[in-house]
Amino acid sequence: MDVVMPQLGETVAEGTVMVWHKKVGERVEADELLFEVGTDKVETEIPSVVSGVLAEIFVAEGETVDVGTCLAVIDDGKLKPEGSAPRAKKDKTASAAPAVAVSAGRTENSVPRDKSLSPVVRKLLSEHGIDAGEIRGGGDGGRITRRDVMSYVEASGGDVSQTDSARDDGTQVIPFSRHRKLTAEHMVRSKATSAHVLQAVEVDFHHVDEVRDAKQAGWRAKEGFVLTYLPFIAKAVCQAMNDFPHLNAHVDGDSLVVHESVHLAIAVDLNFEGLVTPVIRDANLKSIAELARCIHDVAARARDRKLVPDELSGATYTLSNSGSFGTLITAPIISQPQVAILSIDGVTKRPVVVTGAKGDEIGIRPIGILAQSFDHRAVDGAYSAAFLRKIKEILESQDWLAELI
Amino acid sequence: MAELTYREAVAAAIAQEMARDERVVFLGEDIAGAGGVFKSTVGLLDKFGPERVRNTPISEQAILGAAMGAAMTGLRPIAEIMFSDFFAVCWDIIANEIAKVRYMTNGQVTMPLVVRTANGGGSRFGAQHSQSVENWAMAVPGLKVVAPSNSADVFGLLAAAIRDPDPVIFFEHKSLYATKGEVPDGEHVDTIGTAKILREGTDVTILALAAMVPKALQAAERLASEDGVSAMVVDVRSLVPLDTQTILAAVQKTGRLVTVEENPRLCGWGAEIVSIVADECFHDLDGPIVRITTPHIPLPSADNLEDATLPNVERIVATIRARID
Amino acid sequence: MASPAKKKQATALKSGIRANDDIGEDVRLALFRSQFEIRQLEKRAYDMFLQNMVKGTSHLAIGQEAIAAGFAVAMHADDYTFCTYRGHAHTLARGVSMSGILGELMGRECGLLGGKGGSMHLTSVEHGAMGSYAIIGSHLTIAVGAAWSAKYRGTDQVTVCFFGDGTTNIGAFHEAINLAAVWKLPVVFVCENNLYMEYTAIGDVTAVEHPAADRASAYGLEPIIVDGNDADAVYRVAQTAFARARGGEGPSLIEAKTYRHGGHSRADPGTYRPKEEVEAWLKRDPIPMYRQRLIDFGIAEEVIDTMQADIDNAVDQATDVAKASSAPSLDVIETDLWADGSSSWRN
Repeated sequence: MDVVMPQLGETVAEGTVMVWHKKVGERVEADELLFEVGTDKVETEIPSVVSGVLAEIFVAEGETVDVGTCLAVIDDGKLKPEGSAPRAKKDKTASAAPAVAVSAGRTENSVPRDKSLSPVVRKLLSEHGIDAGEIRGGGDGGRITRRDVMSYVEASGGDVSQTDSARDDGTQVIPFSRHRKLTAEHMVRSKATSAHVLQAVEVDFHHVDEVRDAKQAGWRAKEGFVLTYLPFIAKAVCQAMNDFPHLNAHVDGDSLVVHESVHLAIAVDLNFEGLVTPVIRDANLKSIAELARCIHDVAARARDRKLVPDELSGATYTLSNSGSFGTLITAPIISQPQVAILSIDGVTKRPVVVTGAKGDEIGIRPIGILAQSFDHRAVDGAYSAAFLRKIKEILESQDWLAELI
Repeated sequence: MAELTYREAVAAAIAQEMARDERVVFLGEDIAGAGGVFKSTVGLLDKFGPERVRNTPISEQAILGAAMGAAMTGLRPIAEIMFSDFFAVCWDIIANEIAKVRYMTNGQVTMPLVVRTANGGGSRFGAQHSQSVENWAMAVPGLKVVAPSNSADVFGLLAAAIRDPDPVIFFEHKSLYATKGEVPDGEHVDTIGTAKILREGTDVTILALAAMVPKALQAAERLASEDGVSAMVVDVRSLVPLDTQTILAAVQKTGRLVTVEENPRLCGWGAEIVSIVADECFHDLDGPIVRITTPHIPLPSADNLEDATLPNVERIVATIRARID
Repeated sequence: MASPAKKKQATALKSGIRANDDIGEDVRLALFRSQFEIRQLEKRAYDMFLQNMVKGTSHLAIGQEAIAAGFAVAMHADDYTFCTYRGHAHTLARGVSMSGILGELMGRECGLLGGKGGSMHLTSVEHGAMGSYAIIGSHLTIAVGAAWSAKYRGTDQVTVCFFGDGTTNIGAFHEAINLAAVWKLPVVFVCENNLYMEYTAIGDVTAVEHPAADRASAYGLEPIIVDGNDADAVYRVAQTAFARARGGEGPSLIEAKTYRHGGHSRADPGTYRPKEEVEAWLKRDPIPMYRQRLIDFGIAEEVIDTMQADIDNAVDQATDVAKASSAPSLDVIETDLWADGSSSWRN
């Protein structure tokens, strides 16, 4: 006797097995509770229709299958009926063929019961840069099929295949590009996951400016690009990480997993069409000059869409730079699964109090705010604050000239 | 176009080639006056005379040895082995001699011969007269292996086999002899080593051979109308040389592969093709490859037993329903 | 050739014998040459085997030379021969080069088959040597095919098929001879009865005394037994059989009694044969017997000595050529399965 997934509502197409109340080999009586099923509307207890021994379970707890799928078989001592439940997991062949022929149809490999990805699905997901979790599987047992991936790709389209449309009332409907969708989902999920706290320091960049002014001409001539504040900040962050490693980590359940290396992601805006965060691996081992070159390189390749998949993953900390726009401060959203992110905003000349030999005076200094969003699950405010103080100290007093030789 | 039965197409192809090339000679048991036990060579004796169409004693080794000796010395013989099961009687000549002698002699020897035979079950002849042994021939290097499924193909491929400079083992299917099909008028020669897509589809690719081809087509019809499954059907036609490119392209298109093979399970022709697909098309597969074959037993003789043992339309449909999602 | 003076003297001495000679000096010299070439080549092959330069297995016909020679000399150049894996003799007798044969035994590029066939498959289509066959009996059926082809094409080519006494008990023997007889084909079946089927006395495994001759009547053929160590006797029997075949009278089955000096193959020292038997047959070694026959027929010994020396030189030269030849290129491995030279089974 087949046990099938019941239809628990007229519009319900599938259900999830929540709990089996009997084990394989156990006896169950008619009307006795056999399993519990959940749909998006309701959870229900399902009794057994017949008495017998639970011979086999095909669908495990937690699995979602279509209504009508065979979930298990109860050996009730009666002959198997000619027809069997559709899309049965066991390789049952249909009615007319007797036992001898059936054995020929039964094959050595069985249908996968978990959501394993077939080779072509894996290939397509990789080619289109899609995460399997984004796709709803329409195959047996919720398997993601090739058709599912292709439908998803066609529906999401590229940035070009979606068309804006104008409505009568003058508003414009701009369908999200796939990139926009992914960003949107990530940002909302991040906020829902991490306990974001914003903390900021003001940094006096005059010392960094002295070094930049001294070295700029030679640097530009040799390297072909401008030496900006970003490499200095990146260096300072990496150095500070030595004393505050808990910000170079991710949360795993009830644990904080601290990373040894600092893989620094640099947020790069692609002409207002999207955000990408290429990763500089082992940033903590790089000199400031190397960091400058790496940052320049990944940013250029990001804009040219020439990054490789390895460069887009594995970051442990992120730098977000809005400085060129002259913004005051930004409360950035943490890039999951990291636990912190640093925003660098505009560096502008401001009147500040400078303590000199003659006491306090008003001076003009290039001041910029560094604002860190940190995940309060991982660290507390004092830790984060100390980290920021360290960065400030490094930026304001490190012998940068020596480092740039 | 003319409508010919499969058996008429055999005789017509042989006649076409014998008329064209006087080096073509034909020998076998009961092939002359009787026109063959399957009536597949009717009329040839009258057309070409007893020097070119020769009855032999029941001497399978001598039949094939004679064909080989003649092929080595300027003739283009066609030898009939009445039932493919009898290959076991003369397998030495096929596997040790015909298949190897060109290679062993460093290319000195010519071997333009055709061994035609009636293969396959479904005719209630019992286990020793119903086997599908095209996989035996496929396994021996040096033999070309052909197994057509319809009148036009048997005509064109037999003509091609006779013109081929290499030994061709030509598997006619005894249960297809009475089937009818359109055959082109005029000279008709096909190409060995080419598979044919008989039915386009998008959900699953079915590979079939000989008598399994019509069954696969019927199954595809039912799957389309009853399950909305779109099945592509490919008639492999030639096992050696194998049209690998057509098969791989067909698998890439649908992502799923099913073979329907009349031979018993182990080392059937589908096993080899499946291994090639698994190697060269792995990343295009959306699920496991499924082989539908006769079980690994001799064939029983009673009507219902034989029909249930050989792959049938019902089993093909049920298997695809169960395994393709 | 002998000087005219010596020739005249010889003629005077043996005029009686010469007057009745149906074979003639030229043919006799050819018969001796052929036998001696075979003997020397086989001995060289044996030596090379002992030096580990000839590999695998090798089946030598030392002691049985008269049969191959007798038939070869009686044949036309476009006749066909089929022989067994003990086929160096028959192949050489058709005019194939010694270096080609030795080279093939040594697995060299200059080998008759390019190193791809080996000792048991010597073939030279251009010489009509249509193969040496290693499966007992099969080549009798193939020889039937060649004979059928000749008859169909209307040529007067004869096919000669050599095999051993052991072959007479295998199925293919019976199928082939029956078909040849029924179709009246120009094929001559020659059974070289050296009394032993591999390691077993043929008498122990055969239902009749003469393994080939006693089967002839089963196929409507005359029993023919000949002393296989007497090249003249073999030559005469061959001529008769060829005339029959070319005359459209069909096949012949000939049993030639002989003895091999060595074992079945290189691996076999032949100790299963009684010592007296071996000694008795060695006294009838065809080479010294025929040399004496030549002398009896008035051919000067210098002529024979010169011929022998020439042959020894030829064997030495062939050995040098074979030794100097390299192993075949690995490129040949996947070639010549099909007529187009390739071995491809797929696109």
